[in-house]
Amino acid sequence: MNAIRVLAAPEPALPNVQSFGHDPLWITIIKAVAIFVFLLLSVMYGVWMERKLISRMQHRYGPNRAGKFGLLQSIADALKMGFKEDLYPSKVDRFLYAIAPVILVVPAFMAFSVIPFGPTVSMFGEQTPLQLTDLPIAVLFVLAMASIGVYGIVLAGWSSRSPYAVLGGLRSSAQVVSYEIAMGLSFVGVFLFAGTLSTSEIVAKQASGGTWEVLGLSIPMPSWYVVMLIPSFLIYAITMLGETNRVPFDLPEGEGELVGGYQTEYSSSLKFALIQMGEYVNVFVVSAVSITLFFGGWRAPWPISLWEGANVGYWPLLWFFIKLVLVFGGFIWVRASMPRIRYDQLMAFGWKVLIPLNLAWIMLVATVRAFRIEGADRTALFTIAALVVVGCLVLFFRFDTVLQRRRETRAEELKQEFELLEEQPAAGGHPVPPLDLPHYHGADRKEISSGIH
Amino acid sequence: MELYVPILVLAVLAAGFAIFSLTIAPFTGPKRWNRAKLDAYECGIEPTPQPVGGGRFPLKYMITAMLFIVFDIEIIFLYPWAVAFDALGVFGLIEMLLFIVTVLVAYAYVWRRKGLDWD
Amino acid sequence: MNGIQPPTIEYGQLSPLLLVFGAAIVGVLIEALAPRYLRKSLQMPVTLLGLVGAFALVLTVVMQGVPTKAAAEGAIAVDGPALFIWGVILVLAVISVLLINDDNEFVASAAAVPGTPEEEDAIAAGGAHTEIYPLALFAIGGMMLFASANDLLIMFVALEVMSLPLYLLCGLARRRRLLSQEASVKYFLLGAFSSAFFLYGMALVYGFAGTVSLAGISDALGAVGGQNTLLLIGAGMLGVGLLFKIGAAPFQAWKPDVYQGAPTPITALMASGTLVAAFGAVLRVFWVALGNLDWDWRPVMWGVAILTMVAGAVLAITQTDIKRMLAYSSIAHAGFLLTGVIATGAEAQNALSLKGILFYLVAYGITTVGAFAVVTMVRDAGGEAGHLSRWAGLGKRSPALAGVFAFFLLAFAGIPLTSGFFGKYAVFAAAVAGGAVPLVIVGVVSSAVAAFFYVRVIVLMFFSEPAPDGPTIAVPSVGTAGVVAIAAAATVVLGIYPEPVLRLAEDAASTLFIR
Repeated sequence: MNAIRVLAAPEPALPNVQSFGHDPLWITIIKAVAIFVFLLLSVMYGVWMERKLISRMQHRYGPNRAGKFGLLQSIADALKMGFKEDLYPSKVDRFLYAIAPVILVVPAFMAFSVIPFGPTVSMFGEQTPLQLTDLPIAVLFVLAMASIGVYGIVLAGWSSRSPYAVLGGLRSSAQVVSYEIAMGLSFVGVFLFAGTLSTSEIVAKQASGGTWEVLGLSIPMPSWYVVMLIPSFLIYAITMLGETNRVPFDLPEGEGELVGGYQTEYSSSLKFALIQMGEYVNVFVVSAVSITLFFGGWRAPWPISLWEGANVGYWPLLWFFIKLVLVFGGFIWVRASMPRIRYDQLMAFGWKVLIPLNLAWIMLVATVRAFRIEGADRTALFTIAALVVVGCLVLFFRFDTVLQRRRETRAEELKQEFELLEEQPAAGGHPVPPLDLPHYHGADRKEISSGIH
Repeated sequence: MELYVPILVLAVLAAGFAIFSLTIAPFTGPKRWNRAKLDAYECGIEPTPQPVGGGRFPLKYMITAMLFIVFDIEIIFLYPWAVAFDALGVFGLIEMLLFIVTVLVAYAYVWRRKGLDWD
Repeated sequence: MNGIQPPTIEYGQLSPLLLVFGAAIVGVLIEALAPRYLRKSLQMPVTLLGLVGAFALVLTVVMQGVPTKAAAEGAIAVDGPALFIWGVILVLAVISVLLINDDNEFVASAAAVPGTPEEEDAIAAGGAHTEIYPLALFAIGGMMLFASANDLLIMFVALEVMSLPLYLLCGLARRRRLLSQEASVKYFLLGAFSSAFFLYGMALVYGFAGTVSLAGISDALGAVGGQNTLLLIGAGMLGVGLLFKIGAAPFQAWKPDVYQGAPTPITALMASGTLVAAFGAVLRVFWVALGNLDWDWRPVMWGVAILTMVAGAVLAITQTDIKRMLAYSSIAHAGFLLTGVIATGAEAQNALSLKGILFYLVAYGITTVGAFAVVTMVRDAGGEAGHLSRWAGLGKRSPALAGVFAFFLLAFAGIPLTSGFFGKYAVFAAAVAGGAVPLVIVGVVSSAVAAFFYVRVIVLMFFSEPAPDGPTIAVPSVGTAGVVAIAAAATVVLGIYPEPVLRLAEDAASTLFIR
């Protein structure tokens, strides 16, 4: 076990929680404005990128009229929305209806304040980390902000006083809270490895994975948590889509069933723009969190990281940006290739698959880590591990056989029903049209008997 | 406390932007009154009367919310445990295992009683 | 190696608690995994084994010597009084579970709206909520924890663990479901309100003492001395929360409604077990934590005790429903017990009061379960015959049952040769020794008033003509008959030869509460 030796961090000036809270106010304001502007531009060009990319994937051009390559399309859209009539439908609860988009948008922005963009740099002569702030509970803060965003969704739906909006808001919030559990659980593996909730320190922990001394060779271990915690990441990737109501989990906006979902009544104007912005910023938040927790944050990927200056100064901003674009591209790719899934399947998947899988994986990781603690009681550990594995298998097989049996019964039932229907088409009270029903050929023609009887 | 000041700054920026958009929207757009336009949208049919105060919604959502609270609290217990895992060691592992098993017992009950099923 | 030391948990001392909670969790598992037709036949043995086993474990702990130090890092005090109360709660719980076993008392499907086709379907399909067993076990475990909690936080958790299942169980009556659901909601709302009082009081006391452990609060009181608004308000709020649970006036309003609406076996469990547990908690908070503050809480407690005794006795006279009457009688009894709580003084005096209270709790608890068991057997077409007029002439139709019930009522009244007499004697004697003579006089007077309405029921049963369409006496199941027999036997034995139990209570009380 001693073969895995954690190396000392190569760069001494990595920021941690103690590095924060010393900035003068003007630096803070510069950083806050920078993040704010960055997010506004990201939303604009995120929309553009999504439309462009998805068009290409569907063999069409996408926006290409406003500006070169349609680059000004989002600006045109924003202007159009600004100059449309600001509607307050007659039945809505006016205050909540107006405030809901704000509640949706503000926490999404706030969540970005704990995302690390880079190491400590010198900004106008001040040494300051490229991160607005960090908290000892930073990841928890992100989750809390995501939860507050749900209020925006619920209130938007509820204050609209329209059946589609109410249903859409409820569905959406139920979906978001369900996936938030799986999302919260998928972070636990990272915390087990990192031993901290602070985002800057989690990034610092991914600086190096140590080396594995075997046969006189020292093989560098992967340092990004995505490698060691691939199941955690996969679950997180799924919950990212569920949490942000994106395809294939965009049930709240399933046009076929719910028109526009909770935003049905926000038909135009800047309120609608705010909701859209909130959704896109949420997408960027979950992407940034995935980068921070699983992809080494702002640290350069492997071949580039061999260059000494890769993780110093302002360069990491570039690596972070590239990673963000790639993860966002993943969202679009998924949107282009996946059909929307049914609501009951969505909830069943979240509650019945992701949560138990996550818990089992966490316990597995924890047990393996416990082996590495020196002086741990190995026999006790082996007993626990064996018990866990046996328990999981027993439960799995129990449920598996139960499910299998249920599926077979169901199939048998369906078969019987089908046979019955083949014999007597009217059985079971289904409205079957009479076989001699006249065909209808349009208003200007006469009805013609089908001629069977 | 200094750690939270920057968050406040960003929040003020975002809220300022959002509220500014809300307030200028009525002035930038036109105003043409039309009864149908101000009705709730229901694909063109006459809107169903909605009860004052929002009315009732299906109990199902309440159950989901309750289950969410249960599991959210479980997560809240898992985080400090994960952070302090190396310090707690095997003792912490066993305790957490017992805790998770206890929650899973309730989870199995909910599952069997179709608390997780949607129709 | 590292900074965090695992806490030491005395699993041996806590084993009765752990067994009860473990059995409850096994019960939930049975609900989750066993097929419907097997559930009841699995739940019943698990529940009984858990309770009997826990009782055996209590005996083992006593055999090994009563611990002198609080267990689980000072969170739970397994001392003499706690062990005694655990034993009492477990005995009462076993008897109550025998009553609960009777199918006829519980709803077929709680989710079905009363009077709808769904309800009829559920009844026709023979539906039953076997969840009542694990719920009852959780409540019982909570009661045990409540009486042995050595810090306010654990006490609050125990309060909730005890109350939440009871709120639910109250709403599960098979007949008169609207009344039952009303009782459940009332109990829940008022109970939540009182829990909030307790919690807020706890916060204020923490603000004063900087700790939630009872011993720590006591130390802080000794160190500071003098008046402190934070502390006084906090102590008052803690008192409100606790007095609500024992049903002392002016917080007694929930008791008659809830006792009437809840399924009778659950009423039996609540009336006996909750009262015992709540008195355990009251004693711990007022004697251990706030013992040094007794000059401040004693006058208030005097008022509460007098009000409770008088209100219970006087309001009981006006009742026409048997379960409501028993509820008011339970309020009066809570008042009698409070006289014992007030009678503190030197250590010997405390031991004397504690002994009286413990004995009273045993005597009252068992008689109560017996009385409610009799109530379940007197039935009308629509379920239990609650109204007193229906009980007229019962002695002529069923002399044995009416005789047993009359005997229980006499025990409530405290007639010599019943357990109630020695209970009252022990508490009042301690109160006199503690200098609370006026309180005892009020107690005796209200006992006399209370005796009036007990005797009135007896007269009604034996000296009135039975109504032609009077209630039928259900043939009792083995369990119910057993409960009545055990309760009657215990009432007789404790009334004629109370020595062994008295000595047990004395032994338990002699060490007082550990800090």
